[in-house]
Amino acid sequence: MFKEFRNIINYRYLIYQLVLRDIKVRYKNSVLGFFWSLANPLIQVATITIVVKYIMRVDIPNYSAYLLAAFLPWQFVLNGLADSSEVLLHHRDLIKKVPFPREVLPISNVLSNLIHFLLALCILVVYLLVFWLFLHGSSLRPGFLWLPVLIILQTCLLMGIAFVICTINAFFDDTKFILNALLNIGFYLTPVMYPVELVYTKLPEAHRDWLFRLYMLSPFNTLMDAYKKLLMPPFEGSVAGNTVTSLPMDWGMFAVCAVICISVLFLGMDFFNKRKHLFAERL
Amino acid sequence: MKDAIVLSHISKRFELTGTAPTIKKLILSAGRVKRQYTEALKDINITVKNGESVSIVGTNGSGKSTLLRIICGVYKPTQGSIKTCGRLYTMLDLGSGFHPDLTGMENIYFNGAVLGLSKAEIEERLDNIVAFCGLGNYINEPVRTYSAGMLMRLGFAIATETAPDILLIDEVLAVGDAAFQEKCYARMAAIKAAGTSTIVFVTHDMHAATGFADRTVWIREGMVYMDGGSREVVNKYLQELDASPENLPEFRIRENKS
Repeated sequence: MFKEFRNIINYRYLIYQLVLRDIKVRYKNSVLGFFWSLANPLIQVATITIVVKYIMRVDIPNYSAYLLAAFLPWQFVLNGLADSSEVLLHHRDLIKKVPFPREVLPISNVLSNLIHFLLALCILVVYLLVFWLFLHGSSLRPGFLWLPVLIILQTCLLMGIAFVICTINAFFDDTKFILNALLNIGFYLTPVMYPVELVYTKLPEAHRDWLFRLYMLSPFNTLMDAYKKLLMPPFEGSVAGNTVTSLPMDWGMFAVCAVICISVLFLGMDFFNKRKHLFAERL
Repeated sequence: MKDAIVLSHISKRFELTGTAPTIKKLILSAGRVKRQYTEALKDINITVKNGESVSIVGTNGSGKSTLLRIICGVYKPTQGSIKTCGRLYTMLDLGSGFHPDLTGMENIYFNGAVLGLSKAEIEERLDNIVAFCGLGNYINEPVRTYSAGMLMRLGFAIATETAPDILLIDEVLAVGDAAFQEKCYARMAAIKAAGTSTIVFVTHDMHAATGFADRTVWIREGMVYMDGGSREVVNKYLQELDASPENLPEFRIRENKS
């Protein structure tokens, strides 16, 4: 695997070129294109906020900020994985006719989605600044310093999964449909729209602790929750008649999550490596 | 002299998939599916010395392109081993390694990146590439608007200016006009004289094979049928084509008898 890493580093200029091209296409070389690409998640956040707050009567103060803190990372998951199913197919000509390390393709796909995510995060930061400085008179939370760690872990996780998805899609054409279904379900299974504490209160009391740990074993759940906990202050609210209070950040589970994310990256790369020589024939 | 390319006992088998496989099919057939294979190459042994120029001839479907793809590493052989020495450049098709939406100029960077070159290494050669391909102002137009000849010019210019140790060219030079073909062969002759690159090219142009290659390999039905001096091999090859034009081998699936 060491040889593969060195090879990828030798091709860093290709990664740069591929990412640059993706970004250019996404923003259509215009400032307006950039705003359009951000408008979509913001409209969704506004819609969900209205439905949850005013129709379903969930009372969590500053709900939209909590939602945004996990929604943007979730968009990164969604776009990063959905694009990865097609990335080999898009570069079919290149794969069939030019020898180069194939890892470059899923890597640059995740990286270009990462850049998009970072740009979107700027909006979140502005949003939160307005919130805390002007409305609450407090400063940004120190949890912000953890943001790079969260982003790196999430990128590792997505890259590992992207390696697996694009490999399977090279052999089975219907992978992307199954993936899209899973991602749709995933949005409701991970604590993006709702606080993780809600899951905690709904679990049977006798087995609550270990069941909750099991739930948090999913790196998606831990990561989405960590974004909320580290960027936002603890809250107290009520959901469907239950009082819900913030649980403290579980650093033990976070460490487990970090190990999982990095392991997924290596396992995914290994899976890809063992099958990459077949891509040129199968695509 | 060191060997640039060593192919020993190379065989390549392709699985015939028919239609696109789906997960549903995999589950429904659950291992009952009968797999069909075709033998594209059988027990190929070729050694190319450093600085040598080798042409490959053979009818359509004989396995020439598969052989090039195995040498450059796009395909992995089913059996046998392959050793190559140094950096490769492959022109397997017109516009291979180009991105259609980028301009010719941007594609020089992109293609260089696909080869694993750095930005500085590409810029060093940029002027020579632009000058050699002679595309004029078209260099700033998207590559998807290019004709076959223009694609070939750009590809060949990048291929030879980046000075690879091994240059693999599939039958693409045919689309160039007479003057540019002349220029290409002159360039290849210069490379050959300098002894810096090893050249392996597939051709249907027998004058190119006899006039340029030190050696010609005739691939027939996935096997090396003849390997020797260009004139000798080409004469034999032309004799057979002339002798029985109606008996030209059809495309057929070569199944493994063993």
